[in-house]
Amino acid sequence: MGKSSFFGPETISLHTGYEPDPAFGSRAVPVYQTTSYVFETVDDAAALFNIEKGGHIYSRMTNPTVAVLEQRIAALEGGVGAICTASGMSALFVTFMTLCSAGDHIVSASQIYGSTATLLKHTLKRFNIDCTFISINNEKALKEAIQDNTKLVFCESIGNPGLEVSDLPKISKIAHQNKLPLVIDATFATPALCKPFDHGADVVVHSVTKWIGGHGVAVGGVIVDGGSFDWGSSKKHPTLTTPYEPFHGINFWEEFGPSALSMKIRAESMRDFGPAMSPHSAFLLLQGIETLTLRMNQHVKNALKLSKWLLEQSPVMWVNHPDLPENPTYEIAQKLFPCGAGSMLCFGVKGGREGGAAFINALKLSSNLANVGDSRTLVLHPASTTHSRLDDEAMKASGSSPDLIRVSVGIESVEDIINDFKVGLKAVEKATS
Amino acid sequence: MNIVVDGDNAFVATGGCTFDPKKSTVVFVHGSGLDHRSWALQARWFAFHGFSVFAPDLPGHSLSEGEPIKSIEGMGKWLVKALKVSGCESIHLVGHSQGFLVALEAAGSLGAKLKTLTAVASATSIPVNEALVEAAKKAPSDAADMLLKWGFGSQSQSGGSAVPGMQPIGIGRQIMSNNPLAEDLIACTNYQNGINCAKNIKIPSNVILATEDKNTPYRFGLELADLLNAETTTVSKAGHMLPMESPKNTLDAIKSFILKNSE
Repeated sequence: MGKSSFFGPETISLHTGYEPDPAFGSRAVPVYQTTSYVFETVDDAAALFNIEKGGHIYSRMTNPTVAVLEQRIAALEGGVGAICTASGMSALFVTFMTLCSAGDHIVSASQIYGSTATLLKHTLKRFNIDCTFISINNEKALKEAIQDNTKLVFCESIGNPGLEVSDLPKISKIAHQNKLPLVIDATFATPALCKPFDHGADVVVHSVTKWIGGHGVAVGGVIVDGGSFDWGSSKKHPTLTTPYEPFHGINFWEEFGPSALSMKIRAESMRDFGPAMSPHSAFLLLQGIETLTLRMNQHVKNALKLSKWLLEQSPVMWVNHPDLPENPTYEIAQKLFPCGAGSMLCFGVKGGREGGAAFINALKLSSNLANVGDSRTLVLHPASTTHSRLDDEAMKASGSSPDLIRVSVGIESVEDIINDFKVGLKAVEKATS
Repeated sequence: MNIVVDGDNAFVATGGCTFDPKKSTVVFVHGSGLDHRSWALQARWFAFHGFSVFAPDLPGHSLSEGEPIKSIEGMGKWLVKALKVSGCESIHLVGHSQGFLVALEAAGSLGAKLKTLTAVASATSIPVNEALVEAAKKAPSDAADMLLKWGFGSQSQSGGSAVPGMQPIGIGRQIMSNNPLAEDLIACTNYQNGINCAKNIKIPSNVILATEDKNTPYRFGLELADLLNAETTTVSKAGHMLPMESPKNTLDAIKSFILKNSE
């Protein structure tokens, strides 16, 4: 179980990582819009560069505004530290590239976001990092997929877009039996609904663009280091446990122990790949995180009410939400998500692709766009957009289908969302009659 | 580096540089349930500025093998043996909390090799609440929570961190939860020899204290400083976990004292 703050989540969201600055007493976190930081002396600069002391050098690696967001998310998740990145995809890329080298292998859930699937299946392959995709709750398949050169197991806590909940305690047990870390993309859940470290995860990644930011105004990602994985005993990740030449042969595991991974990411990946979050984005995302718990409560309430309403509508062929008994992972969701399993839902309407298009085109309040986790209700047809690069088989494996409509339920008055959907369903009736 | 003491492998952090026993060696001794990582932001500076660093994990802690030692006196003897195995010739001994009690015990056996002694957030005795010891026996992570909630000062509780993006409380919890915390706390409670040892210290001494220290309260630290006739540094808005929560102030205070006494 992870714990790195003794405050409640609502307090962490508002306070952690920042005290009013001594110069002006600014209550809000200031935007430190600077590329670099003046060193006290030449020796001070040398000490910073050699990790003899903490502090800021250059905003590609760290920035005071970004650091507040990092600490806030680390505290909410119960991790030992966090690194913000320019996007959720760069957070995933950095995580994979820190843990893997050419010739290594990843075991991933097939029920994942389309771009993540593309990264694992095609892009990383160019760097000679292979991936085996499995149905994540199939324990036998998971055990069989692990190879000698496997470096991590990856899944989403709630799969996108199929909304299958990953059985984190079971998956982490198998990963750990094989001395592998479990990396979770917990974007759909946020720490307000589920803390993966409490269920055995070792690294948590978010696209903070989504619910954590919540307002659809800034793109960003974060990697949270749980600090519990024993990299030293595992001996599967030599870049963490053997001397690292660029820093005078530092051994991150020996030197930093629980925070070895985050220190390595900061020292290597942020320096070499450079996917830094901008201070202004961090500031915008901090405004969002302040109300995360409040928003998530409303999100899940609306999602469940809308799901149940949709089930009763005749043009609707099926509805999927992890909190509906029809979802194959309903039992797991009840265990891991006691406050509600997120605000994503999917449904299919009569008329397949044509019906789906008619529904989306008729909506007025809800927005047809390629994002989720905004405070506003968003809808999308994945087969034409996010999952369009997947062939039929991969689309099926990811939990999608040609008729699937993905809804990210917002925090508007739920009656207004339902009224908007009524208009959409009327359009379906018209198109298919 | 790894050394063998009493037949068991012991891990000793060297601050990222090769250990050279001929150089003046700064020896860092960790506190209850902790390990060498609590000195991460002090040890590297010394290693890269002309000193050797010797920061062991006590037996049974983190990267060191063996059974945890049940008394402070035993830990002191172990440290003396470890330093002998390593061939250190000139020693600056630094201990945090329980680590300083161990340093006090070791000091009497190091003779002229010992040049200075530094206490970080410590006292001559550290009696531990029975409820905390019982918690540590049952679930180290629960006891770690109690210790860390009590041990970090107000600024760190709200998330102040010297290292951007890190949560020092989380790091401390991970280390303590996997180490023999109960054995260490019992050893602290049983230790009665601190005043005697302190009275015999005749070398330059340094005491670094925190105003919000609830584990070894500030006034007990001042009593220790008085007994040692030590140079004293007070860090405000910090608690008992000084090396982790206020690493720069701690390093500066150790650094200036050792440099002054190395001339």
